[in-house]
Parts: sequence; C-alpha cells; structure tokens
Amino acid sequence: MSVQFQDLSTTPRAGVKGPGAAEWLKQLGLPVPDVPNTWLPLGGALGGGLIARLGNTEFLVEGPESVKLAAPISHGVYPVLRQDTALVLKGARLNDLLLETCSVNFLAINRTTRPALLTSIVGVGVTAIPDGDELRLWCDSTYGEWFLDTLRTIAAELA
Amino acid sequence: MKIMTCPINGPRAITEFAYGGEIRPMPDPAAASDDQWADYVFNRNGAPGVKQEWWCHTPSNTWFVAERDTERDAILRTYLYTGEA
Amino acid sequence: MRLPPKQGEWIDRNHPLRFRFEGRDYDGCAGDTIASALAANGVKVLGRSFKYHRPRGLMSVANHDVNAVMQWGGMPNVRADATPLVAGMDLTAVNTFGGVDKDKARILGWFSRFLPVGFYYKAFHSKRLFPLWEKMFRMTTGLGKVDFATPHLRTPKRYGFCDVLVIGAGTSGLSAALAAAEQGADVAIVDENAKPGGSTHGASELVARVVAHPRVRVITDTYAAGYYTDHWVPLIERGRMTKMRARAVVVASGGYEQPAVFRNNDLPGIMLASGAQRLIRRWSVKPAQRIVLLAANADAYLAAEDFLAAGIEIAAVVDLRDVVPEAQKSALAARRIPVHAGDCILEAIPTADGNSVASVRTKSGEITCDGVFVSVGWAPAAPLLYQAGTKMRYDDSVHQFVPEKLPDGAFACGRVNGIHTARSLDGERAGSAAAAHCGFGVDRAIFVPAETESPTHPWPIVAHPQGKNFLDFDEDLQVADLENAIQEGFDNIELMKRYSTVGMGPSQGKHSNMNALRVLARCTGSTPGEVGTTTARPFFHPVPMSHLAGRGFAPERRTPMHARHEAAGAVWMSAGVWQRPEYYAVSGQSRLDCIRGEADAVRNGVGLIDVGTLGKLEIRGPQAAEFLERVYISKYAGLKVGMTRYAVMCDESGVVIDDGVVARLAEDHFYFTTTTSGAALIYRELSRWNTIWKLDCGIVNLTGAMAAMNLAGPKAKAVLAGLTDVDLSLPYLAVREGMVCGVSARLMRVGFVGEWGVEIHVPFEHGAAVWDALMAAGKSAGIRPFGVEAQRLLRLEKGHIIIGQDTDGLTTPGEAALDWAVKLDKPFFVGQRSLQAIARKPRRQQLVGFMLPAEHTAEAPKECHLVIEDGEIAGRVTSIAWSPSLSRYIGLAYVRSDMATADRKFHIRLTGGTLVAARVAKTPFYDPENLRQKESA
Repeated sequence: MSVQFQDLSTTPRAGVKGPGAAEWLKQLGLPVPDVPNTWLPLGGALGGGLIARLGNTEFLVEGPESVKLAAPISHGVYPVLRQDTALVLKGARLNDLLLETCSVNFLAINRTTRPALLTSIVGVGVTAIPDGDELRLWCDSTYGEWFLDTLRTIAAELA
Repeated sequence: MKIMTCPINGPRAITEFAYGGEIRPMPDPAAASDDQWADYVFNRNGAPGVKQEWWCHTPSNTWFVAERDTERDAILRTYLYTGEA
Repeated sequence: MRLPPKQGEWIDRNHPLRFRFEGRDYDGCAGDTIASALAANGVKVLGRSFKYHRPRGLMSVANHDVNAVMQWGGMPNVRADATPLVAGMDLTAVNTFGGVDKDKARILGWFSRFLPVGFYYKAFHSKRLFPLWEKMFRMTTGLGKVDFATPHLRTPKRYGFCDVLVIGAGTSGLSAALAAAEQGADVAIVDENAKPGGSTHGASELVARVVAHPRVRVITDTYAAGYYTDHWVPLIERGRMTKMRARAVVVASGGYEQPAVFRNNDLPGIMLASGAQRLIRRWSVKPAQRIVLLAANADAYLAAEDFLAAGIEIAAVVDLRDVVPEAQKSALAARRIPVHAGDCILEAIPTADGNSVASVRTKSGEITCDGVFVSVGWAPAAPLLYQAGTKMRYDDSVHQFVPEKLPDGAFACGRVNGIHTARSLDGERAGSAAAAHCGFGVDRAIFVPAETESPTHPWPIVAHPQGKNFLDFDEDLQVADLENAIQEGFDNIELMKRYSTVGMGPSQGKHSNMNALRVLARCTGSTPGEVGTTTARPFFHPVPMSHLAGRGFAPERRTPMHARHEAAGAVWMSAGVWQRPEYYAVSGQSRLDCIRGEADAVRNGVGLIDVGTLGKLEIRGPQAAEFLERVYISKYAGLKVGMTRYAVMCDESGVVIDDGVVARLAEDHFYFTTTTSGAALIYRELSRWNTIWKLDCGIVNLTGAMAAMNLAGPKAKAVLAGLTDVDLSLPYLAVREGMVCGVSARLMRVGFVGEWGVEIHVPFEHGAAVWDALMAAGKSAGIRPFGVEAQRLLRLEKGHIIIGQDTDGLTTPGEAALDWAVKLDKPFFVGQRSLQAIARKPRRQQLVGFMLPAEHTAEAPKECHLVIEDGEIAGRVTSIAWSPSLSRYIGLAYVRSDMATADRKFHIRLTGGTLVAARVAKTPFYDPENLRQKESA
C-alpha cells in the first residue's frame, strides 16, 4: 500500500496551556521541552508516549502519563480538553501524499531536533510530528472523518 | 504565494495566516469627541507605505505583528507584540 | 519528407503512428509532434489565418505562433508545434469553412481594404443590424469549437521544493544547473520540450553531465507558467501542476527568434531558421528542397550548415547587413552559394494555387525556391523576468531588451540576458550566483564578454505599397494596420496594442511585440527603449482548466452524532463548513409536515436536537470576569456561580456580531457559547484583544472537543431524571456540572425554543453514547430528534432572534430590540463608545414581531420582502413562518421606528407586487409569560 494509516485516537492524551504550564508540568514530574515546537519521548520508566510543546506555552501529553494532568491546576495554568483524531502515517508514497496536501516541505525537516509543527493539511489545522519515516498527526475530531477520507482517497490514487 | 514568517512557527505560506488590520492606537473613549471616535472606528490609512499590522497564524492561533511595506509588497520583519501602541 | 535515420533523432521509427488530418490519413512516428509528422508528409498548408483566412504553414515550430492550431474531437485549439502525435488522432484545422485547402472564407482576403485595423469600432452605426453582424462575426472568427458535454476534469496539484530552479534547459540553463549543483544546491531544471538541450536538440556532453548529476532533477515536457511572489513558480506538465517553491530562480528561457516582415511573408514554406533546424535535427524532416536564407546574424550561417547537411539546396543567402563578416560566409562561399549583402526580400511570390511560396523578389532579382528560412534576430523570452519584478532596458548593442535590475533571488542568463555567443559561460555565472544566494558556496562572479556584433537586426521590416506584409500572424496584422492606428492617435504602446490587437492573440506577442514596438518607435520618432513594453502577464502558455481546478479541498465538519442522524433519516444542510440535519425525513410526509411534526413533539412531548456546532469557549483566571465584561455588552462580573446569562457581542462600531450564553462555573472559570459561524473568528479576535490587554486569564477553544445537545419539551425532565445526578429542580438559566448517562457533563437550563429544556455538553468521544441513552430513555415518551428547521420555527414562536438573519452588518442592539442587554454604565466594553454616540441619534428602524391575519392562506411573504409605506420602503421581513401553535403566519421585521407600535398595520410587498397586510405584534407570540420554559419542578 502506498500509504498506511493507523488510528490512535483512543490513546489517552491531555493538554494544558498558559504562562504557568511549563513549571506546573515540571512539578508533576514530566520532562518539559525547552524549545517551542519540539517534543520529547516519554519512554522507559515513564511508560511510553510523548510530550510536545506547541508554540510557546501550550503542551500536549500523550500516553499513560497524561493522567497526571488531572491534577489541581495553579495560577496561569489552563487545561485544554483534547479530543483529537490522531493518526500515524507511513509508507513508500507518504511524501508524495504530503506534497499534494501540505505546503510545508516535510523532506527538508531536520528530525534530529524533534520538531513539532502546527500547520494545515488539506485545509484542516493539524499538529504534525515527523518521527523517523512515520508522521504523527492530530486534528480536531469534527474534521476527522472528512480528513481521513480525503487522505485515503489521495493515497489510493498514488498506489 | 507569499511567505510570511511567524515569529514562533517560522516561514509558512500566506494561506496559513489571517490579516488583522493595521495596528491603530485606540483613543481614550472617555475623552474622544464623536468625530474623533468615528474616525478611529471607520477610517483607515490607505496610503502605501511601511505599516505595522496584526497577523495571526491560524493553525496555532499566534497573533503577532508584521512590519510590511505595502508599496513594494515586502514583509520587512515580524515580531511578537510587546505592548507599544 | 523524412531524412535517413541518424543518431539522436527524437522519433522512434519502430513505432509508426497512423493519424488523420483534414480527412486524409498519414503516417508518423512515436516522438513526432503533430507539426513534425505533417511536415514529414510534405503537408504545407496547416491552417487558415484569423481574419483573412490566408493559408498558413509552420513558422516557428516552437509554439511561438499559432499558424497550426487544430481541433481534435472535443478538444479545441490543439497546438501542432507542441503536441505529441498520438495514434488514431483525427485532426481538423480550426476556423475554416470547407476545410483548410478550400476555405470559402478566404474571400475575406479580397475585402481586406474594407477591414482595416479597428474597423469594427467604426462600421456598425445601425444598432438594428448589429445582431446580424454579431452572428456573422461569431461564425467567421474564433478558434476551435467547445464541446459542452466534455467531462469536467480535475488533475491533482502538488507542491514542489528546490534550492535553485532553472527555467529552460538550453545551453545556458544546463550550465547554470551544473554550476549551482556543483556548489551544493538542490537544483530543478525545467524545459517545455520533450528533451533537454535547447538548440543542441538533446545531444551533448553538457546534457549528459546534468542528467547524471545527483543534485539535479531534470523535468521535461513541462513549462513554467508564471513567476509569482517569493519565487513561486507553477510548473505545468500534461497531467498535473506542480507549485514549485524555490529559494532562487535562474531564468534561462532563451529568445523567440523573430520573423522578417515583407509582402506575403506568411506563405507556407516561409519559416524561422531555428524552426527548420528543429525539424531537421529532432524529427529528421527535410522541410524544403531549395531555399533562400534570409540572414542578418551569425546564427544564420551556423544554421546553413544544418540545411546543407540535410541535403537542402541553398539558392542564395540574402543578408540584411551591408557587410557580412568573412568568417561567417566563408563556408558558403567555398560552395559557391551566393551571399547578397545589403539586400532584402521585397516580396514572396506564391504558387499558382496560392498555397505556398514559389519564389522571392529581392533587390538583386527573383529567386525560385520552395522555402525561405529566416534568421534576422531574437527577442528575449522575458515574461517571467517581468513578472518577477525585473526592470528591463533596451540595449542598442544587441537590439533587444535586457535585464537592468533583477529582484533579489532572481537571475538571468543566455539569450534572455542578451548573451548569445557565450551562453554557457553566462549560465555558469548565473548558476554560481544563484547557489551562493541560497548559502551554497561562493559567487564566482564570472566575467562574461559582451556580444561583438548584434545578433538582432534593428529593422527587419520592408514596406510595400500593396501591403500583406504581416507583423502579427495570430491577428493578421500588417504594418499598415499599426501605422494607421498610430496615425489615428493610438500612439503609445498600451493604446496601440489594444486598438490594433497586436500581441493579443494566442501567441501573446511572442513573434510580434518586438517588431510592433520598432514600428511605433519609428513612427513617433523615438527609440524602442522610450516606447517600452506592455505588461507580460501569466500564463506563459495556456493552462488547461483541469489543472487550475485541481482537487479542491472543502473541509467538512461533523458532530459525533452524525451517524445517528443519518440512520434517523436526516436530510442534510450545510451550515458553513458543518453538516447539520435540516429535518428528519418520515416516509410519506412532506418536508413541511416533518418539520411541523418535530416542532409538535417539542411543544407537547420531548425532542432532542444536536447543537454541537455551536462555538464553545472556556476562560479561566483571576481576570476572566473582567475580560468578559470588556467583550460583551452586558454585565458578568456579578453573575452568580452556577448561573448563565444571555450574551451579545458588538464590534467597535456598535454593530451586533454574535450572541450566545455565558455560564459561570466558578469565580474564575466561565464556559461560554457563540454562534456556529462565529466560533473561529470570535476565538481569534478575543485572543487578539487579550494580546493587547494582557489580562490575567486564558481562553481555550473547545468547539470541536465538546458535543452538545438540547433536550426540550414538557416531558424532557422526566426523560432525563434517572440519567443524571444533577438535581433537575435547578432554576431557569442555571448551570450544573455532573454526570449524565455515566459521563461527566455540563448542563444548562436554556429557553431558546420556549419549553423546559437543558443543553447537555459532554466531551466529543461521549456524544454518540449520550445521544443514544437519551433517545432510548425517551422512547416511551415518543421522543423525536428535531433539526435546524424545527428549531428555527420554535424560536420564532418565541420571538428569539438569530444573529445574521434578524440582524445584518449594520444592526445595533437597540434596533434588534436588545436595549435591555446594553449596560452603558460599565467602565469599558467593545462598542460602548459607539453605542453612546448612537444613543444620541434618532433610531431609524426597529425590529418588531408581526402577524398576518389568521385567515391569510394565500401566498405569504418571504424573508427580505420589503415593508412598503406610502409607496416607500419602510423596512423588511427577516424571519417568517406559519406557526402551528398560533395557526397563522408570524414573523420578525424591521420597520421604521414610528411604525413600531402595538397592532400598527403595515404592508409587505411580494415579489410579484401584491401587498400583503400585516400588523405589529408583541413577542413572544407563544407563551407570552415564558411560563413553559421557566417552569420549575
């Protein structure tokens, strides 16, 4: 298959934003990316998943650790309910799919700095994390069905 | 398609952005006459030239300022708003 | 005729292709274009000219003229020069009457005296006859026929990225690509021809090195359609558009070889020398037996080598220059081919049938020939440079426009840059500079010597008293046509272009603009540089509609209950990007009956509507209340925890832009809704306000994260009891957080539809399950899902407004009967100052409820029908519907303020002009005391 789609929408995740968010997350025992628009894996002892810093002051935590974000909030900490459609894309034609759907040059991205991108794919706002030769995507679930249908249609044509 | 550089997200196609108008200082509503207030509400600076403008990177909801030369269609710099009028 | 096979030819003789032109069958080969295949078969007349229907043949063989434009089935305007031959093609020439050989419309040539430039502006004084003339014009002009049954095609678009984009894979472009790649840049080089190489026609060591280079992508059969901002170039290939973003662009697009202008210069057999070379070198076609070579530069003598090698007899060389350099003519002199310097072609003489050239008359005498090859100069293929913002200047040493100031990141090389001899070196220079611009290596700043003689003649134009010396072949324009236009006062380049139409045909001036410019300069006593050029606009060649349409992306939003609505028979409607049920179809019932049935269920039983499309925002922080005070017109600082309040938002001019409900969940925590269409814009704008105010609070957009539904009706409370731990005796307009159907939810008592009702908000992932549980629990009570239309009817019976329907872009709160919501005594809110000014002015219109007489069963007014008073417009209807609860038509309308009194009669005008009687009525129409929605346990 030219592009494979895996749906991870049911993986637990939680979000938070605000000027106090970074400090609050550190106190919960989570590693916090220093650089805006980067992510860290939450592997090993922390049970798998990731934490992404979206822009300056918003964070997405995915995986078992996300339950920590149910803790009481403090000043400048604003919980963000995450109900994303979450996908993993991979395959021989993944880059061709991206060339038809997104104006960001994914091939030119330096994966070693673990970037997280906020951009638009087929007109839908997404969070995108390239991981090796896979691409993690999150989008608003009200767009989710149309989004996945559209990508599948294009992937089928590329096959 | 023009490229706009979001101060947080970097250079992107202009379709990822929304234009918010030139930054215009709000006169003190209590002190302004009706005419002065109407001028602020309704009139815009149409002359070509270098302007400080509100722009928003919509996928990330990042508001910032672009200094743009509307005569030459050149974006001179972009920066986060710090509070000057 | 076809020459013997040779290495490097573009045709594959092992794959013959049969095709048909004008009803006759011919054979060609794979690799042929339509033009080369017809030339191989000795077909000389390929088309008829636009106005005079003169016979035309191949001229540029480069798609710089449209002498050979054909219809292929339903596809119009197939360009023979640029279209590969396909087996089974069935082609006819466009714009003929009775075929290309015996076109009856050639009679127009005899009337040419009466059809001077711009004649149509002057000839048709009688308007009465114009429809007749118009019909005739449409029949005799125009190219190709459109097949309206053609399937609508779309081709996928895609993005492309590179460091350096080189446009044109001729000698200079290839050199540029190599130089840039050697310095480390990722290079894409694009060429409209089937093979790279330009005038080397595919075979050269340079081509081989470029193709082999790991950092160079060679993209052939593809043209750059335009140069857009920030080095954005659409590349058009047969099946797709690639939107290429480069960091630097080298324009190596070459030049358009220019025709010479003399009487009958349009006869088939007269073509550009480079065109003849193409036919010989690429497709092994011998275009003529015996030619006269019209020369004015070194290129002509190089071309002569190709002609002789193909076995073409050169009867003579006619050189416009007074002195021909020895080095150029020595090879021909050795073969005793006469070279007439300081000479020119005065006219070409046609064969008896008028269909091709038989001889030419020069100053030295008449020379018989069956072909004339012309090499008198070049015009730069500069549209992309102009579009990039390049400032060009006319260079007298090469008699062409050249770049004077290139914009940042744009480079030019080769003929388009005025360098004709040292093209390779110029390409190297540009490639190195382009790569350095992108941060790869250092700009080698290679010095390129200028031309020692001009490759272009400044005046390849010969006057003739009998005219027919064509300057623009597309538009059938003779020199006299331009002279007449100038004489009539259209004497600058913009006016002359539009009045004469020079350069406005399908070739867009590629072969005509430069000569037209020279004529204008001479007639007005100025220089080409002073005359200037007109604006070169995209596209460089026509782009198929399918490529521009591409695959459109129109994102669609759906609530999590979408499948439930589908299963329940929802008839869908678009609300912005959302899909919403308009109503639920019931077999055997009309649309109106279904809607009324749903409304009836809400009034007398229980209904459930999905309101998940509403904007939902959450704000937290010590100054959350302060923020809401500033952005809404009412007061929220004192709103009790656990209560909601209707919320209206105005813009700075005091115009109502949105409404919703604000719910206070805690001292520093609010949850508020917006209209469906306003959500994204409101969130963005509120974010901007707080960027300025920097209040201690944060806003989160939960529109897509939360599902929401409204359970309403006298039986609603009973249905919900048992599914929630929330005390359902909560007061009207209260908000509670609790469990509903096992899920964490926010519950708000609302009154929009006028019955006891709650809005239930749960996370998206639980929306469908909660919907299912409510529908199951309500089954015994006869629960019905209700859609947008039923909701609109129910709210209208209560007189509740819909923003954007009962308000428009100028409506202020007072006009919309929302005075009660405006709290001008707050310290500040957006729109406050404007509303203070507006309050001092007389109000011109007022939104009122109205009713038609109960017995009105005839045609009823619709939204936007006008209120007419004393023959003047005095307002308009904004909402209207037949109310099942009141058994009559009710609605909302704007009326002149003085008419907004109880029971005031007025008239509404229907589309046909009938006036319908109505009277002002208090709202709510239904349950005026609001007892049903406020009802407590």
